[in-house]
Amino acid sequence: MRSLAFPLLLGALAFQAVPAAQAQTQLLYLAEDVPVALDPDGPSSTVNTSQVGRINMMEPLIGYAMKGMNDDGIRIPDFTKFEGRLAESWDYDPASLTWTLHLRHGVIGCSGNEFTADDVLYTFARGKSVSGATTVGWFTGSVAGIKGFTSDVFKGGDKTLGDAITAVDPYTVKFKQGSPNAFFLLALSLHAIYMFDAKAMQAHSTPADPWSHDYANTEAVAGYGPYCLERWVKGDEFVVRANEKYYRGKPAIDRVVMKKVPQASNRVVTLKSGQAGLIQGLTPRDYAALRGARGVTVGGVYGNEALFIAPNLNSELWKNKLVREALAYGIDYDQLLRTGYVGQARKWDGLVPTSFPGSTKTLTQYVHDPEKAKQLLAQAGFPGGTGLEKYADDLKLTYAAEREAILGPVATVLQSSLREVGFPIVLDPLPQSQMASRRLVKRDLPMALSDIDKAVAVDSVYDVNLFFMTREAGGIVNTNNYSNPDLDALILKARGTLSADERLADAAKLQDMLAADLPWVPIAETRTQWAYSSKLKGLTWYPDNSIRWYDLSLEK
Amino acid sequence: MGTRLRFVARRILIGLIQLIGLVLAVFFLIRLMPADPAARLVGMNASPEALAAARHSLGLDRPILIQLAGYLGFLGEPGLLQGNLGKSWSSGAPIVTEIRQTLPITLELITLSFTGAFLVAFPIGTLCATRPGGWADRGTFVFSLFAGSQPEFWWGVLFIYIFFYLLNVAPPPLGRLDPLGTPPAVVTGFITIDSLLAWNFVALADGLHHLMLPVATKVFVLSGPMIKMIRQNMVRALGSDYILYAESCGLPPRMIARYALRNSLAPALTLIGVLYGYVLGGAVLIETIFSLGGIGQYSVGAVLNFDYPAIQGVVLVITAVSLVVYLALDIAQVLLDPRVAG
Repeated sequence: MRSLAFPLLLGALAFQAVPAAQAQTQLLYLAEDVPVALDPDGPSSTVNTSQVGRINMMEPLIGYAMKGMNDDGIRIPDFTKFEGRLAESWDYDPASLTWTLHLRHGVIGCSGNEFTADDVLYTFARGKSVSGATTVGWFTGSVAGIKGFTSDVFKGGDKTLGDAITAVDPYTVKFKQGSPNAFFLLALSLHAIYMFDAKAMQAHSTPADPWSHDYANTEAVAGYGPYCLERWVKGDEFVVRANEKYYRGKPAIDRVVMKKVPQASNRVVTLKSGQAGLIQGLTPRDYAALRGARGVTVGGVYGNEALFIAPNLNSELWKNKLVREALAYGIDYDQLLRTGYVGQARKWDGLVPTSFPGSTKTLTQYVHDPEKAKQLLAQAGFPGGTGLEKYADDLKLTYAAEREAILGPVATVLQSSLREVGFPIVLDPLPQSQMASRRLVKRDLPMALSDIDKAVAVDSVYDVNLFFMTREAGGIVNTNNYSNPDLDALILKARGTLSADERLADAAKLQDMLAADLPWVPIAETRTQWAYSSKLKGLTWYPDNSIRWYDLSLEK
Repeated sequence: MGTRLRFVARRILIGLIQLIGLVLAVFFLIRLMPADPAARLVGMNASPEALAAARHSLGLDRPILIQLAGYLGFLGEPGLLQGNLGKSWSSGAPIVTEIRQTLPITLELITLSFTGAFLVAFPIGTLCATRPGGWADRGTFVFSLFAGSQPEFWWGVLFIYIFFYLLNVAPPPLGRLDPLGTPPAVVTGFITIDSLLAWNFVALADGLHHLMLPVATKVFVLSGPMIKMIRQNMVRALGSDYILYAESCGLPPRMIARYALRNSLAPALTLIGVLYGYVLGGAVLIETIFSLGGIGQYSVGAVLNFDYPAIQGVVLVITAVSLVVYLALDIAQVLLDPRVAG
């Protein structure tokens, strides 16, 4: 009898709590972590589980229309059709390189303030101040080509908006560009520049922190999004409630509890038990195993995540295109897709994700052909791999140790198939921080295997610009030292071309140039996936891979 | 009394010297790690300018001795000497705040676990010692072997599967409370104490229910070696000359047992102290499995993110807690056996 006392007590106490819980629709969302900071210019601003918090509390100026659903029931935006959000409409004057945005009236944020041009000015001025731990706001302004958002701000240049962004009236804002740039609207749709509630943010500023970074990193962000913060315990939970006055209508789910559950197996059993509504961060094998589980749906998209090898082109070995081609022909793609991804990935036939407008299947294709790989290796001066022992350091294949559960089996298949053609590959997993440091700062990593590099601005030219343009010409990442002046020139031309057809033609040329040059060996496009209760509807994919809770509803 | 005070003062002084040495060693050693924390901060799509700005914002572009001076608090801004552990490079929040949030979670877990393990181990160990080779002794031997043969994270996962997934008598492994419920106001950070302070018995019952499995897992693993230690010490004490003498003098069994117990407790306390420090530093596995978000998870996150201020803070606090525990044990030892102070 005594053993029954505790459960009975719990039952009695739980019964008392039930009526309050029934009054509202709640979603329990389990993730690997909860936001560790909410400032877009703060630390961890590039971490998905941090982004998802502020994305659901803030709102962009521009969004995308919806294209429809894929076979999994996931809604996909139409990245060729911009749609007004906080900006209702816009005009462009090519003569003066000026965009005029007409703002929506009557938008009320969680703090009760109304959205006006002051909020737009505050958001961009904050970005250009480069006062945070990171400079994502400035970066987005520079992608948009806004006048003055250049690297001069880091060299003592003007950190104020000047006449680049001005308010004509409380509901009209003008943006001047420094040069013709087709990425303007695209950049304004990015989560890095969602609008702040200026008054509410300024209320938390201090002389030492005029842009309220501390407030955004430790307490909240003030915006005009569909959800308002209720409770935030770092490393534990992030709880929001619906913004009753949200301009697109009150969200269907009243309250979302995002909970950190580090162990993937616990996320799975809690979903299967019916207590969680949505989970993420599983391996392809886990998702495959969950398909068919009662009451559970697994949905996903081929979005912008892909697996590739980036050999360091500063190395004598990898400068040799024949060796790179031998590598591409030596990979057993089918076995890798089967073993590493259990059917949750497909071969990547280009260097830009296929979901991006303008992505093409490139003219040059690489398939598994061990004989051709051996032949190319022999032509390069390494018959049967003889002579490669001199390049042992260049043949270390590095991947992020934190992604061992997914990349470990993949790397093993790669090693095995490449050894068969003569490449004595050695696996060298490194902590993600160390790997990022080697790729970004020193740029000396011999050979990276990555599945996390992705462009969140969905545009083929932007994608090529981001990863392959030389830094000297204005490129951004280019971690493996690829250099092609012809490619740089074509990117610059395409970036300034406003005609969509012309840009698409240039994008196709850029992709063919890359496939022929092979600075990366594209391997697989991987599915971005979630597992969720079958009662949950409306899941939509966005290129930042953060779910908008506003899109969701729960069937009774 | 003077000897005892001198002993405690000497222990505190040694502890402080150890702490200072550790602070300096950790400060320099983590900077030898082959990575640039700024690279993690800015992500993969960063420009060189953004990276340089991030390095500047973290102070990594300053000479290392200047960084040390800043950390200690000699550059005008409050530092370690003023009780400021800095801000996390991952979250931007003060380290003190984050440790204040995570440390009680782990302390509550392991304190309850040690209390539970001791309450289990003490009577069983004593029983085994009084009848060596008996059924209790043989059963305990098998249990210790069984519980110690698998790592605790395995037992944790197994318990979740059995008690939550199959039998549904335990809550899901989602932390210290039902995520859809309302937690009590944070005062101490200990969910049991805060629930009581708030007079919130729903939260108290929920908290105890959620602590049930993680504590049971730790008790299951910890009680094995504790039983063995108590049993061995009791067997040794019961076979000693002074117990033989006491028995020959005709002292009552209760008094004899008290003598034996007092002498067998000292080594057991040492083991508990050592285990407490060890478990505090290595609580990450059990915290991860039960989504408890304690200091163990926090420290692993700090290391993986190359979050220097957080690493320094965690090492400092865990060391300080361990030193306090060791000091308390030393004092307990002196009280049990005054010869130690000499």
